Amino acid sequence: MKQLFPPQHVMGFLFSLLLSLVALVAVLFDLSFAAGMTILVVTAIVQAGLQLFLFMHVKENAESKTLYMNILYALFVGLVTIFGTLFTMHWGYMVK
Amino acid sequence: MKIDHTVPMEYSTDENKMKILGFWIFLGAEIALFSTLFAVYFTLQSNTNVGPAAEDLFHLSPVMIETILLLSSSFTIGLGVHAMRLGLKKPMMTFFGITLALGAAFLGVEVYEFVTYVGEGATIQTSGFLSALFTLLGTHGLHVTFGLLWGGAILLQIKKRGFTPETANKSFIFSLYWHFLDVVWIFIFSFVYLKGLM
Repeated sequence: MKQLFPPQHVMGFLFSLLLSLVALVAVLFDLSFAAGMTILVVTAIVQAGLQLFLFMHVKENAESKTLYMNILYALFVGLVTIFGTLFTMHWGYMVK
Repeated sequence: MKIDHTVPMEYSTDENKMKILGFWIFLGAEIALFSTLFAVYFTLQSNTNVGPAAEDLFHLSPVMIETILLLSSSFTIGLGVHAMRLGLKKPMMTFFGITLALGAAFLGVEVYEFVTYVGEGATIQTSGFLSALFTLLGTHGLHVTFGLLWGGAILLQIKKRGFTPETANKSFIFSLYWHFLDVVWIFIFSFVYLKGLM
């Protein structure tokens, strides 16, 4: 029974629950927009990293370098899409 | 077919390795897909027309329940893959079964939420904000729904055939898909719900 629950996975799971509780701080307390967003960005990135390295076993893959390049490229495309859209639709566009 | 016994079974043939790599490339495309939906949502989120804004619509408790359900399902499928590597068929099937049950419970809460929204007069046609919201959440929910069917089919195959390089490979790839949906949910939880309630 014990071998079915590797401590690393159990710790990772508890840590992921903890991270979502920490993210709640952004809502439950009256923080500034910048402080709240910082908490959300940091907890989300740590949470995603946890899934990637602990549960998705990226490191053990023989092609892990290719995987990192693929993930980084996808993130680059995604971030350009999101921030490029915000730049053209919100920040860069002012009606005088 | 050459089987390499020095690595876990899901990696044990060249074809298996290629399939796992190919699935990662597919996940890269999924990142791009969800990015476009997030971009639309961020663009339209303040266009609420006559409908409710995010802070009027969202409630924390169903969202927390959904998050805990999905995080737990990600944990149990991780345990399922671990059990598979130990060669334990029954525990693996139990963990995969729990995963799918948690996924179904998640969908139940999400459907309940959608029904509540529509009951409050917040439909997909009410405002730009709601169109973007339902599209983003619906695409994620559709992925989970598809995952339930896919995972069910894999359970049947494991039951019939046991662990072979093929079935182990399919199970592992399904676990990658499931963890990925959890990651997407984390971003929805943080940047749609919590940001909306901030």
